[in-house]
Amino acid sequence: MKWMQFFTPVSSINWEEALQFAEQKPDGEVIFLDVRQPKEYNHGHLPGAKLLPLGDLDSRSAELGKDKPIVIY
Amino acid sequence: MLAGKGFRKVYNLTGGIKAWKKEVAVGPEETGLHLFTREESPEEAVVIGFGLEMGLRDFYLSMQSKVSLETTKVLFGKLADIEILHQQRLVDLYREITGTSLTMTEFAGKIAEPALEGGLTTEEYLQLYAVDVDSEIEVLGLAMAIEAQALDLYLRAAERSDKQATKQVLLQIAEEERSHIARLSSYIDHQQELV
Repeated sequence: MKWMQFFTPVSSINWEEALQFAEQKPDGEVIFLDVRQPKEYNHGHLPGAKLLPLGDLDSRSAELGKDKPIVIY
Repeated sequence: MLAGKGFRKVYNLTGGIKAWKKEVAVGPEETGLHLFTREESPEEAVVIGFGLEMGLRDFYLSMQSKVSLETTKVLFGKLADIEILHQQRLVDLYREITGTSLTMTEFAGKIAEPALEGGLTTEEYLQLYAVDVDSEIEVLGLAMAIEAQALDLYLRAAERSDKQATKQVLLQIAEEERSHIARLSSYIDHQQELV
């Protein structure tokens, strides 16, 4: 249901917490998701980040695991 | 959007990538992935990693022969020597996986062609980072950037691998790269304290 996105809370974490996440879950459990455009990704991205531009997010969200933590930027 | 689609653990990175204070990787998502087929065995993945470490050692040694300043010459030598330790770690990992002990020389014989860590070429790294090779801090910064590229490459290769066991090995090598970054980082901090 589309209205759900307006009511589902999303937490924010700072870069240190995100780094801790990556270090504490080294088994590929955390997905770092880069939703910017490819050119921005090419210019600099978090190591291991998956590129999925915002415009494609809706159609390609199946590529992500629903149960995995996702840090999005 | 994701939260509305049933993704339960979504976190926004406050401030985005601009707020990120650690190393970043550069280049398209495909960078360096030509080195991996997606179908290699865990052993083959370790051999590829060894080739990358060999390539990086060759790179540092070639830089060592090019620079004139004694301090950076010594530094490139140190960085090249560190790569031997990284190579040894991969030989150990290979033994853990296969139960077969190989010497470093035997292992090197498995490498068709050494590639540089992170999947970029020597020239690409030098162009990208425009390093002043007479500056120790800049040389160390380059080494950090290469390790970050390597971390990025192994994580992306793990994500794409079709084999779970290979995925785990690639993630293990990625963790090794993370520890290399941490060690270089503390070395740089120490250097800066001395300035």
